[in-house]
Amino acid sequence: MEKIKIHHDQMYIDGLAANDSVIIESIYKKFVPKVVFFVLNNSGDRDQAQDIVQEVMILLYNQAKAGTLKLTCPFDAYFFLLCKRKWLNEFKKISNKGVTIHEDVVSINESALELIAQTEEFDEKQQLFDTMFQKLGDKCQELLKLSFSVKSMEEVAEKLNVTYGYVRKKKSLCIGQLTQWIQEAKNFNSLKK
Amino acid sequence: MNEERYILFDQYLEGELAVEEKNDFEKQLTEDAQFASEFETFKSVQLQLQNKFGFEEEREAFKENLNQIAEEYFNKKPKVIGLKPWYFAAAASVAVLFGLFFFNYNQYPAFADYNHPEQASFAERGSEDGPLKNAEKEFNAKRYSLAIPHFEAVLAKGKTPEIQFYYGVSLLEESHYLKAEAVFDELKTGNSVYKEKATWYLALSKLKQRDYEGCKKILQGISEDYEDYDEVQLLLDELD
Repeated sequence: MEKIKIHHDQMYIDGLAANDSVIIESIYKKFVPKVVFFVLNNSGDRDQAQDIVQEVMILLYNQAKAGTLKLTCPFDAYFFLLCKRKWLNEFKKISNKGVTIHEDVVSINESALELIAQTEEFDEKQQLFDTMFQKLGDKCQELLKLSFSVKSMEEVAEKLNVTYGYVRKKKSLCIGQLTQWIQEAKNFNSLKK
Repeated sequence: MNEERYILFDQYLEGELAVEEKNDFEKQLTEDAQFASEFETFKSVQLQLQNKFGFEEEREAFKENLNQIAEEYFNKKPKVIGLKPWYFAAAASVAVLFGLFFFNYNQYPAFADYNHPEQASFAERGSEDGPLKNAEKEFNAKRYSLAIPHFEAVLAKGKTPEIQFYYGVSLLEESHYLKAEAVFDELKTGNSVYKEKATWYLALSKLKQRDYEGCKKILQGISEDYEDYDEVQLLLDELD
């Protein structure tokens, strides 16, 4: 396997994952002003800038927690570009006009772009998953929630007052339902391409 | 829904299959692409459920903390209460010192130095008090934010490069960069007399955003035949 060189800015990612206030504050101090400046200069306001930053921070937290975020470039470029792209997407949605956006990606190195692509893919997957999860019936939602927060399936069965065999089967089927929907969405997307 | 298949997936992942069943399962994975792809999705759904519910409390705690820090950062209460007046004097003098110190070192050209839009005169074509006349009036009085809606009204009826150009300038003056650049870009790719002018303003937009590299690049694309090429040259020299 290729050895990946982790950038020392990984400390920001680890700090987010550990909910370390000092690190979070330093991200606001060092990296957020640039994002705010950009949003304000591109038809946004401070509230919108605040939302974008928070969304990206939560995204990074989730990806870090899933253990799939290894920073191979400076945090600065990575974070700024993520926020910028999120804002431009948002802006396109609200302005509903075909504004042409000219991205200058000259000064961004390749590993940053690759990393951003990964994070955006993570984001998309998560959003797809969340949408599908909301489509599930209440019973499935509750059972899955318990199955993945309680230690053993025996305990889950006890809590729901049903048999072990039933929760096991039901869990498989609920995950199966999600699998099917997500699989269909994937096939649909690959048709579109 | 293929119920048996999903139950099988779960049993396999839990290590509950007998040796023979397990071998069959793995064989099918290598031979049946659809089966394998579905299994991959099943596994990734499990992983996502793990992420969603495995540390929900921690995530909530993180969000709350984040929210607090963000509020503090974005809506800072002024902390000046209790500061003695002489603090302000001290701070002001320090600011002045810094200003003086950096004044000579500021080598980047400023947008304001190059920002002198010419007067608009569409009068003869506009009726007395129509939007066109109003747009011209507000634009020439440098009340750009008031001019913009008038321009938009005119453009809604029909686009001409001239109106588009002055609309773009108004947008830029009001720092609506994204919109302004979209307008200038359209003119730049067109063939009107405003082609080069729009390119020049595109560069000015970059300058105003302090994107000096981007500004330079655009300037380099302006033809030397452009009527105000002196200014282009001047700005290029300053950027170097």
